Amino acid sequence: MKPKSWHLDRREFLRGGGVALGLPFLQGMSWAKDVAGATSLPKRMLVSYFAYGAYMPNGPAGIPDKDQPHHEWSWWPCRDPGPLTFNRSSAPFEPLKDSVSYLRGLDHRGGWKMGGHSSGDVFATGADMTEHEKTNNISIDQVAANHHGHLTRYASLVLGTEGGTGSYGRTKTLSHRGPGRPIPSMHRPQEIFNRLFNPYAGKGVDEVRAGLKREASILDLLLDNSRSFQSRLGREDQVKMDEYLESIRSLEQRVERTSQWTHEALPEIDTKGLNLEVAHNEPQEYIRCMYDLVYLAFLTDSTRFATLMLESEQSSDSEMWNYATYVLGYKGATHDIAHKRPVDYSGQWDRWRAEQHAYFLQRLRDTPEGDSNLLDRTVVLWGSAHPHASHSTTNYPIQLAGGKDLGFRHGHLHAFEDEKKVPLANLFVSMLEGLDVPVDRFADSTGPMTELRA
Amino acid sequence: MATRFPILRLCLAGLPLLSAAGTSVASEPGEAGFSATVRPFFEAHCVACHGPEKQKGKLTLHDLEGTLASSEDLETWELIHEVLKHGEMPPEDEPQPVEGKRGAVAAWIESELKNQVEKTSESARAPLARRLTNFEYENTMRDLLGFPLNLAENLPKDPNQPYAFNNTAEFMRLGPEQIDRYLECARRAMASAIVDPEPPEVHSTRKEWEPNGVDRGIGGDELGVYGNRRHTPAWGMGLKGFPKTGEFRIRLQASAILPPGIEELPLRLVMGYDLNINSSTQRIAPVGTVRLGNSPDEPGIFEFTGRIENFPVKPGTTRNGKRQPESLTITPQNLYDDGTLNDENDFSRTRNVAMPRAVIHWMEFEAPLVDTWPPEYHTRILFDSPLRESDPEAYVRAVLERFLSRAYRRPATDEEVERFAEIYALVRPELGTLEAAMRETLAIALVSPQFLYHTVADGDAVAPSYEIASKLSYFLWGSMPDAELIDLAAAGKLDDPETIATQVRRLLADDRSQDFVRNFTLQWLSLEKMKTVPINRELFPRFLYYVPRGERAGTEEPYRPTIRDHMLEETIGFVAELIRRNAGVSSLVDSDFAILNQPLAAHYGVEGVQGDELRPVPVEPEHRLGGLLTQGSILIGNGTGSAPHPIYRAVFLREAILGDEVAPPPAEVPALTDSAGDSAEKALSIKDLLAKHRQVESCNDCHVRLDPWGIPFEHYNAIGKYQLKVPQEGTRVGMFSRERHTDLAGYAAYLESINTVEIEADAKVPHGPVVDGMAELKSHLLEARKDEIAENLLRRLLTYGLGRKLTVHDRFAVEQLLDQSKADDYPLADMILRVCQSPLFRNPSPHPN
Repeated sequence: MKPKSWHLDRREFLRGGGVALGLPFLQGMSWAKDVAGATSLPKRMLVSYFAYGAYMPNGPAGIPDKDQPHHEWSWWPCRDPGPLTFNRSSAPFEPLKDSVSYLRGLDHRGGWKMGGHSSGDVFATGADMTEHEKTNNISIDQVAANHHGHLTRYASLVLGTEGGTGSYGRTKTLSHRGPGRPIPSMHRPQEIFNRLFNPYAGKGVDEVRAGLKREASILDLLLDNSRSFQSRLGREDQVKMDEYLESIRSLEQRVERTSQWTHEALPEIDTKGLNLEVAHNEPQEYIRCMYDLVYLAFLTDSTRFATLMLESEQSSDSEMWNYATYVLGYKGATHDIAHKRPVDYSGQWDRWRAEQHAYFLQRLRDTPEGDSNLLDRTVVLWGSAHPHASHSTTNYPIQLAGGKDLGFRHGHLHAFEDEKKVPLANLFVSMLEGLDVPVDRFADSTGPMTELRA
Repeated sequence: MATRFPILRLCLAGLPLLSAAGTSVASEPGEAGFSATVRPFFEAHCVACHGPEKQKGKLTLHDLEGTLASSEDLETWELIHEVLKHGEMPPEDEPQPVEGKRGAVAAWIESELKNQVEKTSESARAPLARRLTNFEYENTMRDLLGFPLNLAENLPKDPNQPYAFNNTAEFMRLGPEQIDRYLECARRAMASAIVDPEPPEVHSTRKEWEPNGVDRGIGGDELGVYGNRRHTPAWGMGLKGFPKTGEFRIRLQASAILPPGIEELPLRLVMGYDLNINSSTQRIAPVGTVRLGNSPDEPGIFEFTGRIENFPVKPGTTRNGKRQPESLTITPQNLYDDGTLNDENDFSRTRNVAMPRAVIHWMEFEAPLVDTWPPEYHTRILFDSPLRESDPEAYVRAVLERFLSRAYRRPATDEEVERFAEIYALVRPELGTLEAAMRETLAIALVSPQFLYHTVADGDAVAPSYEIASKLSYFLWGSMPDAELIDLAAAGKLDDPETIATQVRRLLADDRSQDFVRNFTLQWLSLEKMKTVPINRELFPRFLYYVPRGERAGTEEPYRPTIRDHMLEETIGFVAELIRRNAGVSSLVDSDFAILNQPLAAHYGVEGVQGDELRPVPVEPEHRLGGLLTQGSILIGNGTGSAPHPIYRAVFLREAILGDEVAPPPAEVPALTDSAGDSAEKALSIKDLLAKHRQVESCNDCHVRLDPWGIPFEHYNAIGKYQLKVPQEGTRVGMFSRERHTDLAGYAAYLESINTVEIEADAKVPHGPVVDGMAELKSHLLEARKDEIAENLLRRLLTYGLGRKLTVHDRFAVEQLLDQSKADDYPLADMILRVCQSPLFRNPSPHPN
């Protein structure tokens, strides 16, 4: 098969910047092909989240005071809307200046009444969980996956650093299929790697296909059994049972799709240089490994839509609770930083997070694709659902990066305050537009966010 | 949470409660009464704040019609009735209605509500089908298979909302990922439940410890509290080999070296990762605890059993080309704790010598147990039968019929058996053996809706009886009905209140009811948040246990029960004890006993309690204990970890105890810290901060009616200790230091020297008296709020038992149940019994068609 233009030449790939260091050896990069036969290059998205807000010393809303110089440790890189300049906290993004934008004054109305530590639930959904969407709602990545997920082996990739779904008010995933259906995030690098690149667990393709065929038949019989049971229920219960049947049908579709994809070769990835056993007590290695897995999934076109919950708000049952201890030598739980906001630790903590995120963006940018690079074909949202004070649920720290080839332009701080106030969901509408997912509305959106679109 | 009407049922204590039937002036029923009595009252007293101009609490009265037609309005009417009945509105500072008017309006509403409720049977409108909660799922699997498996940890967490139960249909949603996980769990469970015919290889490991080094203080076979040497029992026993599934047995020979006056020490075994390898990813699970009181002259042999698949196996790793196989380690722990473990920064050998030590001579591990093969749980499913050889198809159907009928908690239908026989036939050729095919088939049965959901099939004459059996067992055990309940259902005897009474008593007496008490209490009191409140180490350096040395020195000791863990058990044990004693609802507010063990007693300042077992201990007024409100779990969970938090505590009191709905702070209102100008965490008393907060008008609207409920808690600090004084604001409290505070007394003296400011804990309860501190708050609650507390508890029990929210249609049933219990101070066990006997619970769930 003749490689399509965007398939990587390995030599070229390895030349791209410092990425060869610790880079898994990739083979068969030309495996991926567009099932629908379309020839366009992939358009991708990552939504990533950090917890406990960020340091915004200039007033409770995080808006720098006009009389004051901009704080060197503020999460916001500069004070005034316009071309970006960088302070100590945001310095890691300076080399990526033309590929990032900062958006001030955005938030989800649906999260207002949730309390700072809970509003992370709706970061990617904008759902009104205190009123009419108590079980949350569909997240932006799933909207995109519903449209274009069939083009890749996996419709989406849902990652987090703690795994699972968490529960309402303390989510551990950003992705939701719809009301009441959070998608558990994966957090163990080895497991993620296996699910992505070694899904057959060493079995031969024929054996896998036979297993899938059996699974499909079983699900079919289970569906019969359930339908017959449903018909014997009262009307109200029948409605409830639809949810169950829909889930089984969806599993059937997935089996069928997995089966189809067995006809496509899996990408071969040598794990040399990837430490898949890394754990929370090596925060930098661990976080970068998670970013690397997203990168590899994008690079191999295994999926185009990913979410990554870098931190969860309520992590006391995991080692993430002591994250800052490992990174900074901070004495308290990471969560304390949100409450006490010690300047030195807060600023350094934000900077550390920025370094990791910049590592990922840089890695995308250093990987050529078509006439540009992976970053230009990937729109990356990075932010949190509360700013400075833990009680507050407005004015999220929001950075958007990449996706220049999808029509985004960068290099500015935009302020959406006072009369300019618009919902964060407007940005989501524009992100979906960039991914060729036509939607009129998302959550409480009032239109697209034209400021960022070329 | 619905923001119905934020601050509502604040009682007019001191005013006689106006019962609808009592002192009120009669008014005409229907529209006539509405025009003559109700509308004029609303216009005179209500619509100024709840009308076209202002909509305080999002409530408007000017647009209500006298027909009570729409069901949405019914809820509003119920609300208005409550407020009027309790005399909460109009507010104290507004003109009050003429004597009797308020009662007349309340009476009119009550009678109209009754008419409406009788006309409709709308309570059946909510969907009744709901999936098992993870808690119910794991328990059901345990009782179905005959052994416990940790399964819920692999399922997406159940929704969890403060002060709400997670078993309501509204929140029990389901998606494909969940089914996927159920299937994984079911396959794992069946892999354990059905074994292969040939007995497997048995693995065993044995280790002995020698008493060498006694001259240095502690022998090589001794186990101190912590700070143990290498190669002593504290270093555990790595297993040479172990199966993936099956039962194991651990035996050990042990004794205790006890200082005078100490009778025993708890020895716990844990299994999982090697605890002594310094790593953040260690995982372990407890195997069991024995209490050693025998001296080394008479060593005893102790036996533990369990299932290997419930323990975290450390996965094999490849590092630097070297392959490390997966591993399991058994580690004994000496859990002796007199509440002073943190009084020193480090554990010197001399200190360890002065404390109780365990001696472990040897330990053996063996798995799987093949004493009877195949095991009993296997033959419950694949039973012996001549059919197995003579008519394999009939045997498969018989196996399916028996298993499905248990899994579905009612007889399986022929059609259901047939469907699964088809699945069996489909997988049998590929999977090779009867055992393998049956594992897969039954795993599929365990993801079928009949298993995963609480439902009742229509048009089935016997179904209602089985439904009651399930309702009872899921309410009081959180699990499937046992054979006795199913037999009663089959005999159609479960519609008899006397039979139900016998069964409820039996269920409550069974150990499985502890699962109910735990699950109910954790959610009712929103307890678990206490585990995530970050305790300020500078203020409370000796509350949690910290790793004394090594790479992780200073971090919290991860695998040792702390006072905080005991506190959670204290509260659960307290509720269990009240049910066991059939104590009245007043005991929730105050009791003459507390549930304590030695470390807890030391923390609270109660003397004479030895050992780690929690038990009821009589308390005196000077202990400042008794009832729920002074329990550490509640005080910590509703504090900041540094300071008490009157608002959290007020919300707790009103939501969990009084049954009000308290709306969360509105978004447009600045946070407490912002409006008060400083960080709340820095201040040791928040009373002043609150005062500042109330100066902001938007805050005052709500807080004036909220804060007074929290301020009387102020003497109880952030770790639940009673104290009269706090440090001056801004005082920096030094950490415990061995150099400066050579002993506990030295540290206590130091604290006393900086605690100079008297705590003020007096507040005027809305519509009530000034209460100063906890004792007066309790008295006020017992005198003026007991009926409300009882109603709240009853509603919670009903909500939990029925798995749905209560509506206006249930209100008369609730009233009736309350009346039945009022005379005896609302005894807890009787209330549970009456809930189970009530038509609400017992009647077959109606299906409107």
